[in-house]
Amino acid sequence: MTTPKSNDDRIALLQGTLDLLILKTLMMGSCHGQGIARIIQRQSEEVFFVDHGSLYLALQRLEDKKWISAKWGVSENNRKARYYTLTAKGRAQLLEKTSEWEKLTRAVGLILGGAGTGGEEA
Amino acid sequence: MVRRKRSDEDFAEEIQAHLQLEADELKSEGMGEDEARRRARVEFGNVRGVEERFHLRGRVAWFDNLVRDVRYGVRGALRNPGFAFVAVLTLALAIGATTAIFSLLDQALLRALPVRDPERLVLLNSAGGHPGHWHSEGGSRPGHMYEFSYPMYRDLRDKNTVLRGLVASAPVEIGATWNNRGEVIPAELVSGNYFQTLGVRPAVGRLFVPSDETAPGANPVAVLSFDYWKTHLSEAPVLGRTLLINGTSFTVVGVAAPGFHSAVWGRMPAVFVPLTMQGVVEPEWSYLKDHRAYWIDLAGRLEDGVSAKQAEASLNALYLALRRAEFPLQTDQSEKERKGFIDNARLHVEAGAHGFSPLRGDVEKPLTIVMGMAVLLVGMAIVNVASLLLVRAAVRAREFSVRYSLGATSGQILRQLLVEGMLLGLGGAALGLLLAPRALHLLIQWMAGRSADEPVFSSSLDWRVLAFAAAATMGASLLFSLAPAVQFWNPRLMEVLRQQSVTGAGSAVRFRRACVALQIGFSLALIIGAGLFVRTIENLRRVDPGFATDRLVQFDLSPEMAGYALAAVPAVEQRALDALAALPGVKAVGATNDADLAGDDHSGDVKVSGYAAKPEDEEFDVELPWVSDGYLQTLGIPLVTGRYFSASDTASSTKVAIVNESFVRHYFANPGAALGQHVSRPARPATDAVIVGVVRDVKHTSVRDPATATCYTLFTQAEKPNGLRFYLRTWQAPDAAMQSIRSAVGAIDPKLVVADLGTMAEQIDDSISSERTIGLLAMAFGVLATVLAGIGLYGILAYSTAQRTREIGVRMALGAQRGSLVGLIVREVLILAGGSIVVTVPLAMLASRALRSELFGISFADPGVYAGGIVLIGLVAGLAAYIPARRAASVNPVDALRAE
Repeated sequence: MTTPKSNDDRIALLQGTLDLLILKTLMMGSCHGQGIARIIQRQSEEVFFVDHGSLYLALQRLEDKKWISAKWGVSENNRKARYYTLTAKGRAQLLEKTSEWEKLTRAVGLILGGAGTGGEEA
Repeated sequence: MVRRKRSDEDFAEEIQAHLQLEADELKSEGMGEDEARRRARVEFGNVRGVEERFHLRGRVAWFDNLVRDVRYGVRGALRNPGFAFVAVLTLALAIGATTAIFSLLDQALLRALPVRDPERLVLLNSAGGHPGHWHSEGGSRPGHMYEFSYPMYRDLRDKNTVLRGLVASAPVEIGATWNNRGEVIPAELVSGNYFQTLGVRPAVGRLFVPSDETAPGANPVAVLSFDYWKTHLSEAPVLGRTLLINGTSFTVVGVAAPGFHSAVWGRMPAVFVPLTMQGVVEPEWSYLKDHRAYWIDLAGRLEDGVSAKQAEASLNALYLALRRAEFPLQTDQSEKERKGFIDNARLHVEAGAHGFSPLRGDVEKPLTIVMGMAVLLVGMAIVNVASLLLVRAAVRAREFSVRYSLGATSGQILRQLLVEGMLLGLGGAALGLLLAPRALHLLIQWMAGRSADEPVFSSSLDWRVLAFAAAATMGASLLFSLAPAVQFWNPRLMEVLRQQSVTGAGSAVRFRRACVALQIGFSLALIIGAGLFVRTIENLRRVDPGFATDRLVQFDLSPEMAGYALAAVPAVEQRALDALAALPGVKAVGATNDADLAGDDHSGDVKVSGYAAKPEDEEFDVELPWVSDGYLQTLGIPLVTGRYFSASDTASSTKVAIVNESFVRHYFANPGAALGQHVSRPARPATDAVIVGVVRDVKHTSVRDPATATCYTLFTQAEKPNGLRFYLRTWQAPDAAMQSIRSAVGAIDPKLVVADLGTMAEQIDDSISSERTIGLLAMAFGVLATVLAGIGLYGILAYSTAQRTREIGVRMALGAQRGSLVGLIVREVLILAGGSIVVTVPLAMLASRALRSELFGISFADPGVYAGGIVLIGLVAGLAAYIPARRAASVNPVDALRAE
């Protein structure tokens, strides 16, 4: 795995988060892998570093689960590219995962917000 | 996944596309061409790594690992070829032997008849009195008589409502002539519905139909068995051709399907003939209208929806009604006879998928015994290979230790050991399966002896046998590969091993001791078995039948099978006797209709003058051979009193009889009292004969059976003619005698067939063939077990002694003598052996007690055999311990101490 030296403040993605981000990205329409990576990176204001290898493996995983479908096509600048599209199953998953994620972040936020009271005991 | 898996190439292409798109984008952001390409590649990271991960994704990772383990295992085996060779050979011998024996067992006991829906077949047998003539090839037991009369068969077949069909068959030997060449072959008399009901199809022409069962003697047609057609007629066109059976022309109408032999397992008829031709095929008997002749076996096919139980209830009622109607036809109509004939009568219906089979009864026990020994041998091989693997694995302790420290999990180590074990198992199985058909072939030949008949057993392995071999291999491999695995299931391997080698304790040592004890136990059991059976054969061979068996040549001659009319038969037989007596080198010639030591038995009850039956209704059967006047002298049966038969006793002179000592003991006070008394068959005054002599007892049916009361009469004075077995006492070597016999008989009439020509010694060997087969195999297994025990014990003891080199060094440094150290080690092994022997001997006795019926002239607990076995295995164990102990003790103590 690579860790680009110039980007120390980038955060490696949590396991499972990448799937969610891919699905979210594909909500806006079909896209190829490189596009997805760019979008995630840009939309997270360059905070997330997307490991490209992991991205493609994640895409394959989602495809295997039939949450997304793939088809070879041609990009705007006439390059061959593999385009991914969200399936109905993927859409449902996205809603579910999003609500899960919101629950999780609220809970983590609550704990972190009140960390001073009981954090030391454990 | 339903869809085809995405290829690695497609994935690589996508990554290349990504790099291209990224570079394009970087370029559009103002980067130079080369820089953009470089940058895209750097951003992506390890392309090969991702591709590798894609390749492994979803793929069955264990398969890759398996391939790696197999490769590693094969390399390991090749590095150590001696070990692999011994292990594979051990397994091959055990698996090959077991597979061969199992194949016989499968054919005899497990396989169903090759007919349609065999599970719907049923067999009929009956209880109750059977007065009259009973003709059996065996397989019946009291209360379960499998033979029925033809009239009873027809009534049962035509009047029942529960069977779709009921077939009848009887075995018979016939004289068959093709192209003027005669031979005696086995045939089967069958009912017209036989093939249809069994569901056997023709290979050529047609098979019998119910209308082929016509009036007696009116339909001379024959069906050939496929094997006979193939081996004797090379599949030549036979439809419509004429086959002479006992001189009568039969028309061949068809050939039965390949694979089918008979509804009775073990019969291998070459020719099928309608039952109604019985009188032509067996001219001396007339069974078809006789209610009192029991000679055919019945098998039925259940009607749809009828269970065997329902069929039995229904058929039994019919049977009892038929018996009641038959009773008035009996000669003896006393109240007692009525009770036996009607009240005690019962028809049994049993499952018939495997068919009725006297032969099965004969081979079941020997096969089971031999299979038991083969299983012991497999057990022995498992322990053997396990201990070899254990020793080898111990040597590889450092390797495993390194692999653990490099991060291998216990599971991976276990998998590696299992794969290596499986490899050995597969190697052994492959070699074993290569050996099995050959071994089977030899075994079948051996069992067939000098019989020219088609062997009942086939030496090809079917799927069932292969499945058995596969299961045995898997089971065995699993067992012996787990042995070292148990020892190495420990990440702190080196520490544990070091500790064990110092203290001489721990699970590994216990396991090794168990291996040694088991090997000694298994091999001792097999050696004892071998000893008991070898002694049995020796005893059987040494049995004195009461007459000299050397230079006695024998053959069968049945003039009626060459087409002679019955009335002409005795004259031909007499001519043959005279011609043979005139041959040079022939000392004496005799003949009998009741072959000696051949399992034959012609017996019945007799009325004896001057004798009042002690119990009111005594039932005492005596052996009733019809012999030639020179028979007793030829065999050399000593005369006790009176005279032998002589040439002056002719067909027209007074009928004479000679009885043996057992006969005299039952009927008279002393031999002298028997002379001049009359003996006859009850209600057959024509058989009345005067006793003119008394001879010594001799064994008759077989060497195993004691002599029985016997009454010899002359075949020339007998009620009817019969085929005879001839005996010649010669000065010549048997081969030369056989040549002159053939030409002498051929000179009388070339159509006469000299059948089963051989010597009495061969006959005796044939009569104990089942014992000889068990004995031979037991001996082979015993020798194999001893060798395996030697190899296994030596391997394990060499290793464990080498491990104690340090201890030995310390002892020697402290002043122990070399000899006493060797003694110490050998003694330890012998104590272990003693323990194993103490456990094995009672178990072996228990097992051999179950074999009692197969032993002869030796107790199942014969001290000699047990002591011999113990001494032999003790020697092997002692030697296996002595050699490594000597080596260890001859090491310089300083070197020994440095060894660690």
